[in-house]
Amino acid sequence: MSPLHAATLFLLLGAIACIVVPGNGRRAAVGIASQVAATLLVLIAVVPVLAHQPAIIAQLTWSYPVDLILLRIDGLGALFLAFSMPLTLLGAVYAHGYLQPFFKTDRNIGVHYALLNLVSISYLIIYSVENAMVFLLGWEIAALAAWLLVIWDYRNQKVRFAGFNYLVSTHLGLLFLITAFLILFSQTHSFDFSQFGVFLRAPGMTRNVTFLLLVASFGLKSAFFPMHTWLPRAHAAAPAHVSALMSGVIHKAGLYGLLRFTLLIATPDEWMGWFLIAFALLSAVTGVMYTVVQRDLKRLLGYSSTENVGIACLGFGLGYLGLAWHNPTLVVLGFAGGLLHVLHHAVFKCLLFYAAGAVYSATHSVDIERLGGLARKMPHTAIAFLLGGIAIAALPPLNGFVSEFLLYSGLFDDSVLGGQNRGLLVLAATVLAFVGAVSAFSITRAFGLTFLGSPRDPEIHEAHDPVLSMRSALYVLTALLFVFGLVPQVGLALVEVPTSQFIALTHRGLDVARVLAVPLAVLQPIVWVSVSVLLLIGVLAALRKWAMPAPAAIHRTWGCGYTEPLPRAQYTGASFSGHLAGYYKRLLPTKLDRHMPEGPFPAEAHLRTHTVDAVEDRMFEVLNTGEDSLAMLAEKAPLTPRIAFALGLVVLVATVAIVLAGTGGRL
Amino acid sequence: MIVASLLLHLLGLVLLPFLLPGVINRVKAWWGGRRGAPFLQPFWDTRRLLGKQPVYSDVTTLVFRLAPLVVLATTLVAATLAPMLPGGGLLPFPNDFVAFAYVLGLGRIFLTLAALDTGSPFEGMGAAREATFSVFAEPALFIVLGTLALGSGHSTFAELMRPHGWQAFLVTPLCALALFLLLQIECARLPVDDPTTHLELTMIHEVLILDHSGPDLAMMQYAASLKLTLYAGMLAALLNPIALDQQPLLAALVSFVLMLAIAVVVGLFESLLARFRMRLIPQFAVVIAVIGFAALVLATIQPELG
Repeated sequence: MSPLHAATLFLLLGAIACIVVPGNGRRAAVGIASQVAATLLVLIAVVPVLAHQPAIIAQLTWSYPVDLILLRIDGLGALFLAFSMPLTLLGAVYAHGYLQPFFKTDRNIGVHYALLNLVSISYLIIYSVENAMVFLLGWEIAALAAWLLVIWDYRNQKVRFAGFNYLVSTHLGLLFLITAFLILFSQTHSFDFSQFGVFLRAPGMTRNVTFLLLVASFGLKSAFFPMHTWLPRAHAAAPAHVSALMSGVIHKAGLYGLLRFTLLIATPDEWMGWFLIAFALLSAVTGVMYTVVQRDLKRLLGYSSTENVGIACLGFGLGYLGLAWHNPTLVVLGFAGGLLHVLHHAVFKCLLFYAAGAVYSATHSVDIERLGGLARKMPHTAIAFLLGGIAIAALPPLNGFVSEFLLYSGLFDDSVLGGQNRGLLVLAATVLAFVGAVSAFSITRAFGLTFLGSPRDPEIHEAHDPVLSMRSALYVLTALLFVFGLVPQVGLALVEVPTSQFIALTHRGLDVARVLAVPLAVLQPIVWVSVSVLLLIGVLAALRKWAMPAPAAIHRTWGCGYTEPLPRAQYTGASFSGHLAGYYKRLLPTKLDRHMPEGPFPAEAHLRTHTVDAVEDRMFEVLNTGEDSLAMLAEKAPLTPRIAFALGLVVLVATVAIVLAGTGGRL
Repeated sequence: MIVASLLLHLLGLVLLPFLLPGVINRVKAWWGGRRGAPFLQPFWDTRRLLGKQPVYSDVTTLVFRLAPLVVLATTLVAATLAPMLPGGGLLPFPNDFVAFAYVLGLGRIFLTLAALDTGSPFEGMGAAREATFSVFAEPALFIVLGTLALGSGHSTFAELMRPHGWQAFLVTPLCALALFLLLQIECARLPVDDPTTHLELTMIHEVLILDHSGPDLAMMQYAASLKLTLYAGMLAALLNPIALDQQPLLAALVSFVLMLAIAVVVGLFESLLARFRMRLIPQFAVVIAVIGFAALVLATIQPELG
C-alpha cells in the first residue's frame, strides 16, 4: 500500500472514529491525530516529486461509467498537496482552541473534525486524478464539506443565509465546469485529461469557448471579481479557522484547475494571456478597494482574497504571454511568481485569519469600530497580525514582497518585444502598485484601529492572548513569513518542479537549469535589501539607547491643549477610509441612514453609514426591479446621448464579434 | 572611479538633508523680506533634539517606539538604492526602483501606525490623509519610472535616468515634471502640504509626528529631509547631461548645483502658492499619472522604429 492510499485510509477512518468516540476532547484528539498521520504520509510521498523525482502514477478500477481512474501526482499537484495538508492540520490544531467553549456542551465536535478530514480527502482527489468525473467528485466533496464547516453556528439565521449563498454560488461555478467537461467529452469521447490535452493543444473556436468556461468556473471557485459575492459573507460567518482554510487553501483549487488545464492547453493564444491579465487586475483592484471600507475584520480579509488570487493570476497571465511569445524568461517569472504568491498567500492569509479569530475569542467582536488598544492586552496576537499585514501589503522584509517582486520583474522585463506590449505591461505594473498601496492602506487601518490607540467601546474591556493551541498556529505561520521572506530559496525550491513543467511546454532543447536560476538571481539582491533594513533598525535602536540622555518620560498624548481626551474622539474606521472611499462612490456605494439635528432644540439624531458590495447590490436591484429598470433604460436610451452611444458601441462590437466568429477569424 | 562615486554619494547622503531644507527656508525668508535662519539650521536643530529626553504617551505601545527607527532605516536603505548622483545608486540591481518604492512603503506604514498608536484624533486624521494620498502617488511613481525604464531600455535605477531615441527630448521633460510634482506630494511640500503650520486641520506630515520628541523627532525629521534629498537627487540625475563614469567630479558638481536649484524652486513655490484644498490632492496625483501616461505612450513608439 502506497503512502497516499494509507493517508486516505487514515483520514476516512479518522473521520468515522472522531464522530463515534465519546467525549469532545477525545474526538478532537482523534481528528488531529489522523490529520498528523495523513500529513506525514502525504509529505513522504510528494516531497520527492518536488525534488525532481518522477511523478507518482497509479491506477484504480471502479465501476461503470468511470472504469479506470488514472492517478498522477506531478510537480503541480505535489506543490498544492505539500502546502494544503500541513496548513489544514494547523487549522485542526487551531480549532481545538477556538472551539474550546463548545467542548463542555453536548455538541458533537467530532463532526467538525470529520469534515476537516473530508476536506483533506478532497485535496487528495482533486490534486491527483486524471479523470474529469472523479475530479468533479472531489470538487463536490470540497464544496459540501466547506459549506457544512461554514454553517457551524447554524442557529444564527445570518450564518445560514451566508452558507446557502455560498452553496448556490459554488454550484453555479460547477455548472460552468460541467459544461466545459461536456464540450471536451463531445470532442474526445473520453473523460481522461490526457485525451482532453490532445484536443486542447490545437487552437480553435471550441478551444476558446472551453477556455472561457473553465476560467469562469475556476474564477468563481477562487472568488474572482465579479463572482466574489458569496465570499465576504461566508468568511464573516464561518469560524476563523474555516475562513482561513477556505481563503488560503481550499479555494486555491480554482487556481490549481486553471494551471492544470494550462498544462493541457500547452500552447495558449496571445489573447488568453492578455485576457487573464485583465481579469486578474480587475479582481485585484476591486478586491482591494472593498477592503478599504469594511468594518468587519474577517470580511476585510475575505475581500483581500479576491485581491490576492488576482495578483497570483496576474503571474499566470504573464506566463501565458511567455508561452505564446516563446519567451522562457517570462514563463518562469510569471509562473514561479504566481505559484510563489499562492504559497505565500496561504501562509499570511491563514495567519491573519487566526489572529482575527483570536480577537473574536477574546472580545466576541471583529468590528473595527468597536475595538481598539488591543495590542497591550494581547501582544502576541498584535505582533502576528502586524507581521501578517506587512506581508499582505507586499512590503519587505517578509514573504509577500518576494513574490510580488518576481511579478514586477516579469512586468518590467526587457526581453519582451514590441513597444506596445511593454507599454501595456508597464501599465499593469502601475495597477499592481496601486493595489499594493491600497492594501497597505487597508492593513494600516485594520491594525491601527483594532490594536492601537485606546479601546473604543467600554463594554469590551477584558481581552487576553489565546490559549496555546491557537497561539502555536500564530507562531508557526509567523516564522514561515520570515523563512519565505528572507530565504527565498525555500519557496523557489518548492515551485521549481511545477515551473519547469510550464517551461517544458514550448521550449524543448532549452537549458532548463539556466532558466530556472533566473528567479533566484532576481531575488538575491532584495534579500540583501531586507536584511539591511533589519540590521539598520537594530543599529539605530542601539544608537538611540546610547544617545538617550535620560530614561524616557511618560505623559499623556498631546491633545493640542485639550486636556480631557475621549476615546470616542479617536479616528474611526469610517472616518479613516471616508476620504478614499469618497473617490470611488460607484464601486463602493455607501448607504446613509440619517436623522440630522434640526432647530434650536434638536431632538435625538443619528447617522448610520453602511458600505455595500456594488455587485451584490446591483444584482439584488435587478432581481427586484429587473423589468422596470430595463424598461427605464429603453425609455432613456434615445434621450441620453451617453447611454445611446454606449448601447450603439455594444451593438457594434457584438456584431463584429459575431461576424468574426462566423468566419472563424478570417475576414 | 567607483570609490570616488561611492564617497560622493555618501557625502551627499549625510550633508544634503541638512542643506536642502535650509535653502528652502532661506528662499522663503528672502521672499518674505526677512533675513532667514542660517543655511545649516536643520543641523543645529537635529543636534539639539538629540540631546533631549524623549516623552512617550501612556497610550502608546512598542509600535510607537519602533516607528522612528523603521522610518529612518528604510529611508537610509532607499538612499543606497536611489540615484543621488547620475549613474550612481550604491548597489544597483535590476528593478531596484521597485525595491526603493516598497522599502519606503514599509517606513510609511510605521509612520502612520505610530500616529494611530497615540490615540489622538488629530494624528488619526494625519494618518488617514497620508495613507490616502500615497494610494494615488504610488502608481504615479511607478508609471514614471516604468516609462523611463522603457525609454532607456535599462532596468536599474541609475541607468534608467537616461532615456534615448528621438522622443527623449519629450519624455525627459515630461518625466521630470511628473517627478517634481511627486516630490511635492511625497515630501510634504506646498501646494500639497504646509510644512510650517502646526494647525491640525491643514497639515499631513507635521501632524503625524506631533507626539514624537527628542531623538525620535530628530530621526523622523532627518528621514523626511533625506527623502526630499532622494527625490531631488532623482530629478537631478534625470536632468544632468554629464555621465558620471566619464567625469565623476564634474557630474557630481552639476548634480549638486541642480539639487540646490530644485530646492530654490521648491522654496519659490512655497512662497508664491497657497495650499490646495485637501479634496484636490488626489486630482493633483492623477494629473501626475496622466503626465506619466503621456510619456509612456511616447516611449512605446520608440522600439518600433529603433
